[in-house]
Amino acid sequence: MAAAAAAAPTRAEVLSLFRSLLRTGRQFSDYNIREYTRRRAADAFRENRALGDAPAAAAFADGKKQLEVAKRQAVVYSLYAPKAKSIMEMKLQ
Amino acid sequence: MSLSRRLLPILLRPRGSPTRALSTAAASAAPAAAEEEAVTIKGVRISGRPLYMDMQATTPVDPRVLDAMLPFYLSRYGNPHSRTHLYGWESDAAVEEARARVASLVGADPREIFFTSGATECNNIAVKGMMRFYRDRRRHVVTTQTEHKCVLDSCRYLQQEGFEVTYLPVRSDGLVDVAQLADAIRPDTGLVSVMAVNNEIGVVQPLEEIGRICREKGVPFHTDAAQALGKIPIDVNQMGIGLMSLSAHKIYGPKGVGALYLRRRPRIRVEPQMSGGGQERGIRSGTVPTPLVVGFGAACEIAAKEMDYDHRRASMLQQRLLDGIRGQVDDIVINGSMEHRYPGNLNLSFAYVEGESLLMGLKEVAVSSGSACTSASLEPSYVLRALGVEEDMAHTSIRFGIGRFTTEEEVDRAIELTVHQVKKLRDMSPLYEMAKAGIDLKSIQPMSGIG
Repeated sequence: MAAAAAAAPTRAEVLSLFRSLLRTGRQFSDYNIREYTRRRAADAFRENRALGDAPAAAAFADGKKQLEVAKRQAVVYSLYAPKAKSIMEMKLQ
Repeated sequence: MSLSRRLLPILLRPRGSPTRALSTAAASAAPAAAEEEAVTIKGVRISGRPLYMDMQATTPVDPRVLDAMLPFYLSRYGNPHSRTHLYGWESDAAVEEARARVASLVGADPREIFFTSGATECNNIAVKGMMRFYRDRRRHVVTTQTEHKCVLDSCRYLQQEGFEVTYLPVRSDGLVDVAQLADAIRPDTGLVSVMAVNNEIGVVQPLEEIGRICREKGVPFHTDAAQALGKIPIDVNQMGIGLMSLSAHKIYGPKGVGALYLRRRPRIRVEPQMSGGGQERGIRSGTVPTPLVVGFGAACEIAAKEMDYDHRRASMLQQRLLDGIRGQVDDIVINGSMEHRYPGNLNLSFAYVEGESLLMGLKEVAVSSGSACTSASLEPSYVLRALGVEEDMAHTSIRFGIGRFTTEEEVDRAIELTVHQVKKLRDMSPLYEMAKAGIDLKSIQPMSGIG
């Protein structure tokens, strides 16, 4: 992969990507997708904390691709959001 | 007259809000704007969309899958079989890329993958098509009593055509007895069909052993892996699989697409069901639906990457669900083996509770008593009966499905609602009272029919 040849991302770049993913994830209108995006991003960044240079660059490139997907799909989901929310988003009776 | 009077206000509404006038949900919620919106469907009023725990029926489409599909619903609409222009070429390339992704998830060669409309079609082609192709020499099929309806129904059809079928019983844990299976194979057996993961109870059959027996006896092994794909590791060579049915919508892909795996060496031949343009090497004529196939490919690629992560989560949530319910309610039976089980499935029976009442009371949790195909009937599940589960216990089963998008909070809410409902129903049940008083219910004759 061409991405693997790229230099390892800096700490600031990684944190910025992580924050962008979390911010985009919050925009999903669907409860389950919103929770999943947050959880999956957090777990992936935690798991990949100790990666070497080459794999870190590949993971970073993959993360950037995921961010683009999330940005597009957050819009698609918002266009077709159902009127009623999930019962998980409501207060307990 | 009265009708026109009722319609008049709707027709006179300002043109800006046609949907509001037509939507009953919006209309009923409008007066109480401060109140939360409610859903009314089929006469049932629910305060919001139920939490979804019916992952064996179908799964939500992963946003990454939809993202891969959308271009093929917009500008890339070419027919993948068009050979004369770019539209066809780009669709064809996308279909072949998807084929490679499906193949790689099961350790197959892309040329062994044939796209179909879903696992039901695959099972039909595999069971009927294979037996019809070799009908002169092979007259016998071995399968199990807990197979999916489409395999059993295909077998029933073959019986009407004069073939013989052995329906193997399963042990009380849902697993097939491998020695019994070996004994059932005859010189004229043309197919052994055993599903990988059961749709109702989630038990994983010993595929590798069955595959080895079939290879020794020279009989092709077909497995319905609709519930297994992307959830447990599958390798067609290691497991000696000759034919395999796959489905996209069980692994966060789109509905309406599946794939049949047909081994090339030694070659397995089937008689196609449909006549037509000869697409998919003549096995399945009809235009390949590019967007669906691309979605299936994307779902397989994600499943390959996420299998470990998803599996860990499903195991953790299954344990949480089981502990949560078992900690507060007694007299629960887990249907099917716990150690040979896909963790995204938990099938429980609640003694002294009527299943329909329980499901009706659990309107805020989308669960099922068994398979979606038979959820309309009041008959107890034939799978549970094959396990030897008593009729009253088979009637009170609930299948909880845990998937990629299930959260801890959803599991906790499901526990809370289930426990509440079971306790409520048991408080009303004279059977439960008697059982708690130490009376053996089976000894009471007039009561034995009630359950």
